[in-house]
Amino acid sequence: MRTYSLIFLLVLTSLLLPACASNTENAPVQAVENYLNALIEKDANRLTTLSCGEWEGDAMLELDSFQAVTTRLEGLACEQTGTDGDTALVLCNGSIVATYNGEDQQLDLSVRTYQVVQEGGEWLVCGTR
Amino acid sequence: MGLLQISVSVITALLIGTLTRGALRTYLLLASSVLAVYWFQPALPLRSFDFWLPSLSLALSILTWLVVFPSGEWRLRKNLIGLVIILGFATLIVLSRDLFPDPILTATIPPQFSQYLVFLLLAGLALCTFGWLARQRTWAIGGVIFLLIILLVVLKTPAFSLQTSIFVRTLANRPVENAEFTDLRWLGFSYIAFRLIHVLRDRQMGRLPELTLPEFVTYVVFFPALAAGPIDRAERFTRDLQNDFSLTQEETLLGGQRIVLGLFKKFVIADTLALVALNDALATQVRTTGWMWVIVYAYAFQIYFDFSGYTDIAIGIARLVGIKLPENFASPYIKPNLTQFWNSWHMSLTQWFRSYFFNPFNRWMRGLKTLPAWFMIFVGQVATMLLIGLWHGITLNFILWGLWHGIGLFAQNRWSEFIRTRYPNVGQNSRLRPVLTIGGILLTFHFVVLGWVFFALRESSLSWQVFQKLFNLL
Repeated sequence: MRTYSLIFLLVLTSLLLPACASNTENAPVQAVENYLNALIEKDANRLTTLSCGEWEGDAMLELDSFQAVTTRLEGLACEQTGTDGDTALVLCNGSIVATYNGEDQQLDLSVRTYQVVQEGGEWLVCGTR
Repeated sequence: MGLLQISVSVITALLIGTLTRGALRTYLLLASSVLAVYWFQPALPLRSFDFWLPSLSLALSILTWLVVFPSGEWRLRKNLIGLVIILGFATLIVLSRDLFPDPILTATIPPQFSQYLVFLLLAGLALCTFGWLARQRTWAIGGVIFLLIILLVVLKTPAFSLQTSIFVRTLANRPVENAEFTDLRWLGFSYIAFRLIHVLRDRQMGRLPELTLPEFVTYVVFFPALAAGPIDRAERFTRDLQNDFSLTQEETLLGGQRIVLGLFKKFVIADTLALVALNDALATQVRTTGWMWVIVYAYAFQIYFDFSGYTDIAIGIARLVGIKLPENFASPYIKPNLTQFWNSWHMSLTQWFRSYFFNPFNRWMRGLKTLPAWFMIFVGQVATMLLIGLWHGITLNFILWGLWHGIGLFAQNRWSEFIRTRYPNVGQNSRLRPVLTIGGILLTFHFVVLGWVFFALRESSLSWQVFQKLFNLL
C-alpha cells in the first residue's frame, strides 16, 4: 500500500511542480544569462545547446575569440526590453572581462541587444542587434 | 570523474556505509547510482542528450532485467520500489528545470516535462510489450545482445557516430555542418553494455542467480565503477550487496588508502605526465629520436597511472559500502611475457573476453577437428585482441593495436613452446633464470610501449612517422 501511495505522490508532484513553476516569464533573460556564462566558461557544448540553429556557428566564432584569454563576468544583470514579433529582446548590463598576460580588457555588454527565440519550446539566443 | 564528483561519491559512500544496512543500503545505492548516471554524463552539443543517454542506460538495464528474470510475484514489492526510485529521480531531474535557473544534476538544461512524458510513455510501452512477449525466450535474449552490439558499433565507429549526429541534427533543425563524431559521448556505455551482455549470456547458459530490479540496476550502473569500470560479475556483486555489512574502522582505512593512492596516481602522476605524453600534436612537433622515446615512455606510464588510479578510486569507494570490486591491474609493466602482461592489464575486460569470446570460440574451433593446433591458437589470440582493440574504438589504429598484441601473443606462445621442447631445463638454471626474467620484462615492456603508439594517436600515418623517428629511419 505504501508503494502505491508513493507512486501516487510522485505522479501528483510531477503534475503539480511544472504548474507551480514561476520563472517561465524570465525564460528569455535566463537563456541569455546561461549563454553568457557558457561563453565565459568556454563550454562549447553548453553554448551550442543554448543557441538557435542559425546562431550556432556565430556562437562558436564568439567562443573562439575568447580561447586565448581568461574570462569572467562582472555585474551581469539582464532584462527583457521588448519583443519583435516572436523574438524577445534582452539587454544586459555588466561586462565580460578578458584577461591576457595580466592585462584586463572590459567588453561592455550593454552595447548590444540579444535576440532570443523559442525553438522546440526552448528559449535560445539567436543573434544580436 | 573530476575531483568534485569523486569527493561527493566518497561522502555518499561513507554515509551509506555508516548509516544503512540491508535493503535500505541497496535502495540508497540504487538512488545514488541513478543520480550519478545523470550527473557524470558530460555536456553534449545535441540538446538534452546529456539527459536522454543516461535515461537510455537505465531503460536498457530495465529491459535486460525484464528479459532475463522470471515473471510472477517474485519480490514484487522490492521491484516496485526500485522502479519508483529510478523513475522518481529521473522525473525530479526533469522537474528541476522549472525550479532552478541552472541545471543542478545534468550538464545542460533537462528536457521539457512534456517531452519526458512522451519518452516515458514510449519507453514504458516498448518495455512492457517486449518484456511480456519476450520473457525468458532465447530469441529475446539474442535480440537484446544484438541491440547492444549494434549500439556499441554505432558509438565506436566515427563514421556511424557522425551520421547519427547528422540525423539527430536534421530532426532537430540544427545545422548539420557542425556535426562531429564526438557528439554522442555516452558516458560508461561500453562498461554498461558489457555488464548487460555478461548477464544475458549467463542467463542463456543457466548460471545466473535471481536478482531484484534494485540489485540488478545497482550492479549495472554502480556509481564508483560507472565511468571507468572495473567490469564486475553480477553474481559476485550481488553476494556483496546481500551480505550484512556495516562500515568498520578497518574497512574505512583500507578504502581510504585505496582512494588516496588512486587520487595521487591520477591527479598527480598521470596528469603531470600528460603534459609530455605522446599525443597527435607532440607526435608532429618532436623531431629527435631521444625526445620521441621520452614522450612515448611518458604515455605508457600516463595511461597506466591514469587508468589504474581511477580503478583504485572505484575500488576504494566501493569498499566503503561493502562491495569488493575486482582488481583491474597487477603490476603489468614488470611481467616477463606478454601473456602475463594481459593477465594483469585491465583484467576485468580480458576476463570478460576470455569468458564470452576466447573460450567459446576455441571450443567451437576444436569441435571442427580439422584445424591444426597452431592455427587455432593464432586465430583465437588475434581475433580476441582484435575485438579488444575494437572495443576501444572502431578505427584503423585500434585494429592495428589489436593485431600488434594478437600477433605478439601468438609469437610468444610459439617461442615458449619451442624453448619448452628444445631446452626443457633452461628455466631451472639458477644463473640464467634472472637474466631471462629481466630480459623478458624489458622486452615485454618495450613491446607494449611500441603498441601504445597505435593506441595514442588517431591516424596510422602519424603512428608510422613516430616509429620512423623512434628508430631514426627518417
